[in-house]
Amino acid sequence: MSIDLTFIGQIVVFLTLVYLMKKHLYGPMSELMETRSKKIAEGLAAADAGLDAKARAEAEIAEQLKDARSKAAEIVASAERRAAEISEEAVNRSRTEAEGIIDAAREEVNAELGRARQALRNEVADIALIAAERVIESELDAKRHAELIDGIVSNGFGHA
Amino acid sequence: MAEQGHEGGIAGHLHYWTLKIDESNPFMQIHLDTMLVTLVVAGGMFAFALWLKGKLVAGAPTGAQNFMESVVGFVDDTVKDNFPVNNPLIAPLAFTIFTFIALVNTIDVLPAFLLGHVAGLFGVEHFRPVPTNDLNLPAAMAVSVFILVLYYEFKLKPVHFCKELLFEPFTNLVPGFLKPVVMPINLILKLVEEFAKPLSLSFRLFGNMFAGEVIFLLIAFLLLSGGPVSMAAGFVVGLGWSMFHLFIGLLQAFIFMILTVVYLSIAHQPVEH
Repeated sequence: MSIDLTFIGQIVVFLTLVYLMKKHLYGPMSELMETRSKKIAEGLAAADAGLDAKARAEAEIAEQLKDARSKAAEIVASAERRAAEISEEAVNRSRTEAEGIIDAAREEVNAELGRARQALRNEVADIALIAAERVIESELDAKRHAELIDGIVSNGFGHA
Repeated sequence: MAEQGHEGGIAGHLHYWTLKIDESNPFMQIHLDTMLVTLVVAGGMFAFALWLKGKLVAGAPTGAQNFMESVVGFVDDTVKDNFPVNNPLIAPLAFTIFTFIALVNTIDVLPAFLLGHVAGLFGVEHFRPVPTNDLNLPAAMAVSVFILVLYYEFKLKPVHFCKELLFEPFTNLVPGFLKPVVMPINLILKLVEEFAKPLSLSFRLFGNMFAGEVIFLLIAFLLLSGGPVSMAAGFVVGLGWSMFHLFIGLLQAFIFMILTVVYLSIAHQPVEH
């Protein structure tokens, strides 16, 4: 229980131990722990930032989806409108075309009818002439009687 | 002293394995048992540090690293709670004090005579296994801490510290013409206050550990030397005291550490105006 040289020895041992512990145990460990806690904090911050970004992205997606949906509805509506227009136009055009065709056909028919009537008229005149010749034999003046028959035919067949 | 050592009883077990360099001068001797155990423990700590340093991992720690990290974290928190400024030396110092004292105190849990008998086999007459029972160890640590405290006091706020020694608290209370008279008294009282710090620090640890060992010896002498019943009682009481003493050892290590931190933090406290 006396203070002696052991005291000096213990001071040396103690201070050496403090130095060694600081250099080889405490220093590396506290450095490591600090690095780790920094890393963990960074990771947590990154996770938070990621969650934020995700929420933002989701909101953006929802908004874009809404936009896209309304745009699609608009497009569909305009397409429907356009289709209706096109079909109406087509109907109108086909109706005019059909009318045109009908008109042309009617004209043709009338022309054909006129031609046929004229041909018939000529033929009837010829036939009548021939018939008259046969009936009256060839005594009659062909030219005078032709005029007469012509007049009869045109009067008689004018109402045909 | 040598004659006393051959006597039986408790006192006979309280001698150190001493190497006397100069017979006439009581200071010129060295306690080989204290030095040996201290060196073994310190060497073990150093070897452990080197071993652990080689296998430190940055990721999730396991085993020894995990345990040491909790100790380091505990010491770090204690220092950060008490310290106004950052000084990279304080936490390792506190850590070393805590682990070293805790380890050395834990040796006391071994049966009181075991290491003595082992040493006896090698022809050593007296062997005290627990170095904290030797006043030299607590005193060495306390004085080292005290010198550090003085170093920081003089380095960080020399004028303020000297002023405090001379003027606080009495000199400031008396009128001007009495100041020169009161100043020396103040200084003496302040010096007592300052020197009480290392003294109480070392004697607290030493007293606790020494008393613990004496109680072990008392249990051994009073109970273990009797009949079977008394021996059984001695065993139970000894076991109980071992556990309690283990707790005391840890507690004293913590107290030594926290007081070191507190004394040093007082030295680091910025000057208030």
